[in-house]
Amino acid sequence: MGGFVKTQKTNAYSKRFQVKFKRRRAGKTDYRARIRLINQDKNKYNTPKYRFVVRFTNKDITAQIVSASIAGDMVLAAAYSHELPRYGLEVGLTNYSAAYCTGLLLARRVLKIRDLDQEYEGNVEATGEDFSVEPAEGRRPFRALLDVGLIRTTTGNRVFGALKGALDGGLDIPHSDKRFAGFKKDDKQLDADIHRKYIYGLHVAEYMKNLADEEPEKYQAHFSEYIKKGIEADDMEALYKKVHAAIRADPSMAKSTKMPPKEHKRYNPKKLTYEQRKASLVERLNALNSSGGADDDDEDDE
Amino acid sequence: MPAGHGLRSRTRDLFARPFRKKGYIPLTTYLRTYKIGDYVDVKVNGAVHKGMPHKFYHGRTGRVWNVTKRAIGVEINKQVNGRIIRKRIHVRVEHVQPSRCTEEFRLRKAKNDQLKVDAKARGEVISTKRQPVGPKPGFMVEGATLETVTPIPYDVVNDLKGGY
Repeated sequence: MGGFVKTQKTNAYSKRFQVKFKRRRAGKTDYRARIRLINQDKNKYNTPKYRFVVRFTNKDITAQIVSASIAGDMVLAAAYSHELPRYGLEVGLTNYSAAYCTGLLLARRVLKIRDLDQEYEGNVEATGEDFSVEPAEGRRPFRALLDVGLIRTTTGNRVFGALKGALDGGLDIPHSDKRFAGFKKDDKQLDADIHRKYIYGLHVAEYMKNLADEEPEKYQAHFSEYIKKGIEADDMEALYKKVHAAIRADPSMAKSTKMPPKEHKRYNPKKLTYEQRKASLVERLNALNSSGGADDDDEDDE
Repeated sequence: MPAGHGLRSRTRDLFARPFRKKGYIPLTTYLRTYKIGDYVDVKVNGAVHKGMPHKFYHGRTGRVWNVTKRAIGVEINKQVNGRIIRKRIHVRVEHVQPSRCTEEFRLRKAKNDQLKVDAKARGEVISTKRQPVGPKPGFMVEGATLETVTPIPYDVVNDLKGGY
């Protein structure tokens, strides 16, 4: 298709076009939801309203506690699933169970930061039942609102796995059990056993067993990392129990040792700053004046 | 049919959003906090229909006297017949901006306080009063050449130049 194509976007069109917000153009922020999550009662003045933000990438899970300000959102604490190897979980870092671990890690981290971790233990034994923190005598629990972002909130979504982790960790997040994995729409009830299975990765274990029996080659291909680390289908529950215990024992964030970024050679001249441009202008004026033979040196008077 | 004097009559352009600023409103309006006694400007945002003030108050500045969940109570002066009434209205935060009318005053106050503290440390007495700009000082005109201008006699033949 070479040659000229009649332009569809005239100059008039471009002049009148109103762009959406930058993050909307990037498809990253749902402003309708954001306004409703951030809006704080005016008679609560500067009290921060925390959001429990959960985002999934292809290989990682990000869980953050964020409060909004005019300068930008401030992250109080964050937990990533790429930290889970530190607690003993090396594979399956984006599944429901890993989401639960990440949520749990974030909750314990935040409570430690706020010195609430002794008061609010949360649900130490993950049973899959709906658990809400009870306010203890003294300080009230740490409250946050779940921010799912742009995902479709279907029953059994991993976002709710992270939510369950945070709840069991001891955060106060208003929720309903309707979207946890194992909620039966017909009974309108959460089947705690099924949810427990998902938390401990037994749904993955079942699939592993299935494949190992019926399609060994696919099993080798799909679960190669598990095989490499020597994780069997039966080890799943014990593995996750250990990870949960390790998280509760030490939720602090490890300082990452990153080297300073490498200096690259510049192929184009560096842009001058405003001050540098003004200074060079004054120099040129002085040179002109002195070469012109005038008596007054032009001290810049702006 | 007569024109009608409804609540939002004659506000077609007044309440319209500016060019290419339609749709969602930026979130700083929701993040601002207002305290009782602050000065605010009332500026209607046509995109938000709730908590709109009457068109009279658009462009007025007043003091905050009440803060509720989503709105601010603002006290604005309104001239009714021969007197000025202090009207109290409640406006949603989307229709309110923090006013800069006292900004210069607050900055000057802070600067003066600092100057007074410095002067006290030095043991001087200073006046921080603002002075109005006085008449310009006298000066000698320099580098002027005198040119005497005298009228020249009118020359009919040359000055008419064609049409007469």
